[in-house]
Amino acid sequence: MNIPIERGKVVTVARGQSTSVAGFSLSKGLGVVFRHWRRAWFEKQHQNVPATASESAPNAGNDKSKPTAFVTLEDMSKSYGTFTVEYPEQRIKLPEAYRNMPVLLYDDETGHELCTSCFQCQRICPPQVIHMTQAKDPASGKPVPSVAEFIIEYDACMSCGFCAEVCPFDAIKMDHEFELSTHDHPSLTVYKRDLNRPVSYYESIAPGFWAEARERAYKKLATNMKRRPGAIGIAPHLTEKITAAQAQAAQAAAAQAPAAKAPAKKAAAPRAADTAAAPTDKEAKLAAIRARNAAQKGGSAPAAGTAADAPLPTDKEAKLAAIRARNAAKKGGSTPAAETSAEESPPTDDKAARLAAIRARNAAKKGDATPSEESDQPAAETPPANDKAARLAAIRARNAAQKATEAAEQAADSATSTPEAPASSSEEGKPLDEKAARLAEIRARNAARKKGDQE
Amino acid sequence: MADVINHVLNTMLGLNAPEWLIIFISNSIAVTLIFAIAPLQMLFMTYFERRAIARMQDRLGPNRVGPKGIFQPVADGVKMFTKEDIVPTAADKMVHLLAPCVVAAPVMFMFAVIPWGPGMYAVDLDTGLLFFFAISSVSAVGLMMAGWASYNKFALLGAMRAVAQMVSYEVPALISIAVIVMLTNSMSIVSIIEAQSGLFISQVDVAGIPDLGLGWFIFSPVGLLGFICFFIAALAEGERTPFDIPEADSEIVAGYMTEYSGMKFALFFLAQYLLNFLLCAITVITFFGGWQGPGISWLWSMAVSEANPAGNPIFNVLAGILGTFYFLAKTYFFFFVMIWIRGAFPRLRVDQLMGFGWKFVIPLTIVNIFSASLWIGWIRWELNPDLAFLSALGEPYSFARWGFAFVATLVMNVAAYTLMTRINRSPDETIDELVADQVFGAVTLR
Amino acid sequence: MKAEGTMIKTEELQINIGPQHPSTHGVFRMLVTVDGETIVDLKPVFGYLHRNHEQIAEVNTYLQNMPYTDRLDYFNSMANNQAYAMAVEKLAEIEVPERAEYIRVIMVELTRILNHASALGFLINDMGAWQTPLAFGMREREKILDLFESTSGARLMCNYFRFGGVVRDLPPDFVPRLQSLLTGLPTFIDEFERMLRENEILRIRSEGIGVLPKEVAISYSVTGPVLRGSGIPYDIRKAEPYSIYDRFDFDVPIGTVGDVYDRFLVRIEEMRQSKRILEQALKQLPDAEGGHINPKARQNIRPPVGDAYTRIESPKGELGFYLVSDGGQTPYRYKVRAPSFINLTPLSDMCRGYKVADVVVILGSIDIVMGEVDR
Repeated sequence: MNIPIERGKVVTVARGQSTSVAGFSLSKGLGVVFRHWRRAWFEKQHQNVPATASESAPNAGNDKSKPTAFVTLEDMSKSYGTFTVEYPEQRIKLPEAYRNMPVLLYDDETGHELCTSCFQCQRICPPQVIHMTQAKDPASGKPVPSVAEFIIEYDACMSCGFCAEVCPFDAIKMDHEFELSTHDHPSLTVYKRDLNRPVSYYESIAPGFWAEARERAYKKLATNMKRRPGAIGIAPHLTEKITAAQAQAAQAAAAQAPAAKAPAKKAAAPRAADTAAAPTDKEAKLAAIRARNAAQKGGSAPAAGTAADAPLPTDKEAKLAAIRARNAAKKGGSTPAAETSAEESPPTDDKAARLAAIRARNAAKKGDATPSEESDQPAAETPPANDKAARLAAIRARNAAQKATEAAEQAADSATSTPEAPASSSEEGKPLDEKAARLAEIRARNAARKKGDQE
Repeated sequence: MADVINHVLNTMLGLNAPEWLIIFISNSIAVTLIFAIAPLQMLFMTYFERRAIARMQDRLGPNRVGPKGIFQPVADGVKMFTKEDIVPTAADKMVHLLAPCVVAAPVMFMFAVIPWGPGMYAVDLDTGLLFFFAISSVSAVGLMMAGWASYNKFALLGAMRAVAQMVSYEVPALISIAVIVMLTNSMSIVSIIEAQSGLFISQVDVAGIPDLGLGWFIFSPVGLLGFICFFIAALAEGERTPFDIPEADSEIVAGYMTEYSGMKFALFFLAQYLLNFLLCAITVITFFGGWQGPGISWLWSMAVSEANPAGNPIFNVLAGILGTFYFLAKTYFFFFVMIWIRGAFPRLRVDQLMGFGWKFVIPLTIVNIFSASLWIGWIRWELNPDLAFLSALGEPYSFARWGFAFVATLVMNVAAYTLMTRINRSPDETIDELVADQVFGAVTLR
Repeated sequence: MKAEGTMIKTEELQINIGPQHPSTHGVFRMLVTVDGETIVDLKPVFGYLHRNHEQIAEVNTYLQNMPYTDRLDYFNSMANNQAYAMAVEKLAEIEVPERAEYIRVIMVELTRILNHASALGFLINDMGAWQTPLAFGMREREKILDLFESTSGARLMCNYFRFGGVVRDLPPDFVPRLQSLLTGLPTFIDEFERMLRENEILRIRSEGIGVLPKEVAISYSVTGPVLRGSGIPYDIRKAEPYSIYDRFDFDVPIGTVGDVYDRFLVRIEEMRQSKRILEQALKQLPDAEGGHINPKARQNIRPPVGDAYTRIESPKGELGFYLVSDGGQTPYRYKVRAPSFINLTPLSDMCRGYKVADVVVILGSIDIVMGEVDR
């Protein structure tokens, strides 16, 4: 074997020599171990880092009662002393570059999300776990640089960080939160509501990275905000707050927008009720009153307040609300679309109620994302003081349903053509408005494909 | 024990209890104590081992359950109790069930002859040492039962290894201990400990110096070599690294314990740790004076004993506490050495283990027997006119004789050790010879 | 190994070591035929961790494959990244800036140290040590992983390399931390050697065990420390210098016998040589020209029609990537030459005649990662 080697040489490793006294080398090993044993009593290799408030807040973990100390390994030359970190109490300070799962950013002040649904991340994602739909202007039906729904399947995400890397708007970033283990597998499919993080949070975990991106991100956001009508693009859980502040202006501008309405069903959405984003009952009532007022005032004018789907706490109430909604729909006149929807929607048992709850939650999210759409729900929920409001709502529902007939038929076609998912499609494909119809269509197609894949 | 009970009941309280009652009470107390203390020893030893070895590896070890993790073994015990007991379908269920009992029971018996302090023993058998080792061999049967009944190849391999190892290493262990029997003329463990009173310089009382309880056999060359051989054998007998071959987790999963779970597994564990404790204890008893140490004899001289029935039982307690402290401190030191070795070394291969035992340790122990004979002869012979030259060295038990014997046996033992390492080593063999040696198991030392 | 006619007639026993076994380094099965404790035959069975890596790669775009290469040999994701990035760069004719090359070399040499540190720990563990050498090796590995984390964002699945560079520049505290690591590294290596090199038990367990003669090693196309342990000074960093390895002065350690002990020693020496390379690279790094790269520029590369094979000296041996491009966004063919897999092939030859306990030691000395073997 003559392989020429430049710069450096071939060295033959020296094999061990037998020491004169057998067992002597064993004692050397014992000595090494003993030194470690002795010094591990007094020394530690990690140094403490004083935890600032911003650092301890996001990473404090589940048990907030115990203080968290951050440690770091600045001096890497030490070989002695305890090396381990006592985890829940002590944590290694995560470097700025650390990436775990992707999250979405929104601006603290305006509540506007940075994401414009440009689909870059969806395209680059190696395991294809990012899904999004683009928001649409309810007035014109044209796409808006904002995202209606954004879903990341955390369970299949490989944390490669490509999405954050390619995002031209710095809207998707890698989070530092790593304690994500759960018993609830479906909860690992994360929706926009739970993906949203304020910019200030990201700034606290990665100040250097954000400083680099800040200027261009805000510049692009300012441009995009101009193209977002109404409350589109505002983080859902802030919608209430921000739209309440803008209520007057929204009411003034309300006359032009056509009425759109949400399905005649809603229910208790435990998860939604749990989240801070869910409006309280009081708020819901308030919003309902506002909606009714607006309806009375402007006839076909939509209310700016969007208390679309105030979640109800129990199944019973869900059923009640559904029945009431059906009644309202019947009273208002029976267009076929409205009838079918009304007949399908009332939950007849717990299971149906739960189904209705899930559907309502989805609708709630949708409604949150496009807050200018409002519904007759408030009227139905809080028993109408006069029949007029209910009738108005019903009329509005009928109008919307008629408008969406075409799309609905399309959706129904695609749904019925996939016999594997008739239930879901007939439920979900209910024509509400164009957007819902499109969504239903997509969902039905996905379900069909999924079924097909399984087979 | 009976002396103290007798003293308290009859002398102090004047109850006039019959002798059988006193014996019954004392034995009941002893048995209760043993069965209460033995599992506690095991619990503490697992904790001790885990903490100590963690420090060696720059870790902390269990530190969550209780202060400093002291209740970790309890948590482990609870876990073991609540675990499902899985018996393989093809197993011989009866034998599978019996095996852990057969392994664990003899270990508990062995506690019977262990003195924890002066006068603190359950029984003082005349053949205590013999009983100890005879009973310990019984567990080999249990291991074989476990391996055979599990219907698992790893378990069978592990059991074969375990039995082969225990049988092989009982030989050097017993020959090493035989030296002590020769020195003390007794197989009673109590009298072996009592023989180690005095000063280490001559193992007999030196005039003018109080009894410091330091006449340990380790301070003689015979005892030293005996100790080394015995401790190696004890490591093998207790299946400790580097001889933990029967349960070599990287090779045969868990050996004979592979198919055991829950409390049956815990019983094997218990037996093993108790055996380790007992082996450390018997090392301490035979070579390090057991409970002997400075102050014991002074306290004991004032306590109630056969020689001094009018003593004060408080001194029994004091001497017992001090003696138990000495005994446990020494025992745990040797257990620490076991942990230390476990923390530092890989394990031998099974054929190397056998080679090492039969070709290295056993010859050394046999040489040690010769040394011991000479030691005894040179120190004690006095009458035989043929050995008149010995009297030139001085009186029997004199310092001169002792010194001569010390040097002579030391030279003999060191020479034997060097010779054995030379014989067993082949430092400059070629690769082919090396490979052949490895394949045929001819290598014992490098 | 029976002497004729002198022994009792025995029956051969078949044992499955694995796929669930403490020391098979993953889900690997060895169907061992033993006569007592002696190995008569050994049949390696693998494929339990097959996850269609190469087929997936033909569906993904070139960039999307990068994080998948992390998962091949999950100990050395940086080395895998480099081999793949080099293949695409060769295919698409992309230049790499000098500074990026230095960063790459630093990362891959750190990978080598961490791989050898933990591989030696596992080897000694397989020999029956109770975790201590492994704990020491893992301690060094953790330190290096800390550096990786601060640079790439992840400890194991680094996904750090991009076509034409690396994803981001080194963080400001990287160089001082690496220097402090390098000052501490000799302590670890020396201590490791002091503890084990002369250790009688280790030597008796490893000398003359699993001998792989030169000729056999070559005929099995074994690479890496296993080949060098057999005495062949073949190191791709020297034989076919890629990246900037021709700028560094380092030695190639070789063994003489080709047994487990030689592989052990070669790995220890390689850690020292990696440290030398790192020191030189750190010295030359400030002078290097060019930045890391702009990663956004290489999102959707469409290499010209053609094929490329690149290989690097990964810590486990020659890691090669073969790519065929049909001009589209995704590779037409994607093939990995995995060193673990090929080094594993002479296993049965190395084990025959030894004892059961030697099998795990020999397997440990090959240093396999099943993620790479099964792909």
